[in-house]
Order: sequence, then structure tokens, then C-alpha cells
Amino acid sequence: MKRLVGLVVIILFILAFSLLLVVAGGSIVPGREVRGLARVYLNTSYNPWSPYFTVNSPESVTSVVWDYRGLDTVFETMVFYLAIIGSIALARGYRKYIPAKLDYSKLGLSVIVKTVTRITAPLIIIVAASIALHGHLTPGGGFQGGATGAVAPLLILIIFSQYYLIRRGVRKESMLIVRSLGLTGIGITAIAVFLAGLVAGVHAYVLQNQAKATAPVSAPAYIDNQLISGTLWFFNIFEFFAVLAGFTIVLLLLTIPERAYQGGGGE
Amino acid sequence: MIIEEVLVWIGMIVVGVGAFADLVAAIGFNRFRNFYLRLHAATIGAIWGAFLPLIGASLLATGCYCLGEYRWFMAGGSLVTALLILILAPAGSHALARATHRAGIVPVEPCIVDHLDEKQCVPGGGSG
Repeated sequence: MKRLVGLVVIILFILAFSLLLVVAGGSIVPGREVRGLARVYLNTSYNPWSPYFTVNSPESVTSVVWDYRGLDTVFETMVFYLAIIGSIALARGYRKYIPAKLDYSKLGLSVIVKTVTRITAPLIIIVAASIALHGHLTPGGGFQGGATGAVAPLLILIIFSQYYLIRRGVRKESMLIVRSLGLTGIGITAIAVFLAGLVAGVHAYVLQNQAKATAPVSAPAYIDNQLISGTLWFFNIFEFFAVLAGFTIVLLLLTIPERAYQGGGGE
Repeated sequence: MIIEEVLVWIGMIVVGVGAFADLVAAIGFNRFRNFYLRLHAATIGAIWGAFLPLIGASLLATGCYCLGEYRWFMAGGSLVTALLILILAPAGSHALARATHRAGIVPVEPCIVDHLDEKQCVPGGGSG
């Protein structure tokens, strides 16, 4: 009977999926007229010969994310920030629980795993920083870098225990400060060119990156002959810190020992 | 050049050995009868089946002049990934085995001696 039910479910799934494919094949596959849009993006992402349309970044995805639809991404960052705030609100009312006598060498996994983590955790942070800092040149960016970097605190939480991180200052409050500073940086970067336009007395937009025909101010595309693509680089750096700190907060909250909640909660 | 030919051939042989080891590991992973034995098969897949082919890919890329300058990127990337796997895979399997043994949920079988916990040792075995 059980096998029969499983068989029927699998057959139904295959039939339904085939139906979906047949129906979707006619409508969801993008038509030829969409290709013009891709051509525009690829043409303008890095194009020094048309200075009023280019983003000055060879990475089209980051250009779209932080320039063409920058407002969307700022709001996405806000949504992520609200999610972190929500998780902090959920975990409110726990006492700081650190046992009086704590032998740090006895916590966590074995010496072998700890040694390997000591080698790899800094490497993870370095890779994450490189993903974030090169986000305007190669695939990657602030969010991807931050999510990669959050693997390091996750490893340390599980392998060395939570107290190891907390003793070194990686606690909820300090991470919240880093997170808020990152978000403030994103906000300031978003209005930086607009403020520069105000000061210079010319027309400028919020979330503007490079100069436009009607708004002749732009964020610096090069620093010391290194391409930074104007605001993209700053957005990526601030987003990196914001996402890294945000994920670290959630991971810290997830690994609070149950004893920290005992004794009635409250303030 | 004779040296690049040799590099490419050694690389191909090493990748072939890795593919064979992956096959052996997959068979062992399906056929072995308890957790520790299957973990052993899985680590064969990680070291002989992932570390070794990456070394082979690194040698292949170094010997392949058709790739131009980019062969150094490929060779270096493969080498670094191989070294990381060499460090990480044993640590992961060690953590799994240690946690399982401390929890005591899998009998150690077939067992000759178990200094950590004699009670978990199930001597003998061999066919199953």
C-alpha cells in the first residue's frame, strides 16, 4: 500500500511537471524583444565612450543591483535589517549566561578540528573581503561577501563555543553597532552625489552614480588610477559589514543556551 | 617540449586514478554496513577522489600551453583548493566520527580494540 501511494505520487508529480513545462514553454520563455534590453545593459555597464550613460563597472550584475535599480537594493537592505531587528525582538529577555568557572579548552570540539578552524577561519574572512571589494570588477558584491564571511563566526560558534566569541567582543550589541554603521554608510553613499550637487549648485539625483547629461556631478570612478566605479565600491563595502554583522547577530541568537532563558525572562 | 607532454600525461593519469577512487568510494558508500565503514568510504572519495584529481588538474593546466597565461590561474586555483580539501576533509570526518562515538549510537563493528570505550567494541564480524 505504502509503495503504491509513493508510486502514484511520483507519477502525478511527473505528469504535473510535464503539464507545467508545456504550459510554461509557450509563455515564460522570454521573447526576442527582451534581448535588446540585455544589449543596452551590456553596452552601458562599462563604456568610457558614452560617459553620460555608463556605470564605469565591468560587472553588469553589480551595475544593475547598485546603479540601474539602486533604490530596490537599498530597500532590500532595509528588509534584511528589519528581519534582524525582528529576530532580536524575538530573543529579547534573555540573561547573559556565562558560567562562573569556564574552562575554554574543554568547550567545543576536539583539538584537531579547532586547529583546522584556526587556519581556515581567517582565510574565509579574506575570501569574503575580496569578494566584497572586487564586487564591481568580478562576480560578487557586498551581500555575497558578507554571507561568505558569516561562515567564519558560524564555524567558531560551533567549534569553539559561543563564549569564545563573546569573550572576544563579538556580541550582539557590538555587532548591532557595526550593522547600523554599515546601513548609515549605505544611506550616506546614496545621497552623497545629491549633496555634492546641492553644494555645487547643479542638478543631481539621489542614488546617482556617474554624471548624466542633465546632472553633471558624479562619484569618482577612479582612485589613484584604480577603478572603483563611483558609488558601487562604497555600497559594496558598507553592505559587506552590514550583512556580516547581521548574520553574526542571528547566529549568536540561535546558539543562546537554553539556560540563559531560565528564571522567567524579562529585563 | 617534452616536459609539458610529461606534465599532461602525469596529470591525466592522476585524474584517472581519482575517478577510479571515486567509483570505489561510491560502491563502498552503498555497500558498507555501518556508519564508521561508510565514513571511511566517504573519506576515500574526499582525499583520493577530490584532492588527487585537483592536483592532476593543476599539473594538466601547467602543461597545457594552449591555455596561455591563464593556465597559471587554473593551476594555482586547483592547487589551493586541493590543499584546503586536504586540511578540511579529515577534520570534518574526524568531527563526525568523534561525535558519533561519544554519543555511542553506533556499535563499533568489526572491532579489534577500542581504547576509548571498551563497551562499544563488537569483536569479530567480517561478513554481513
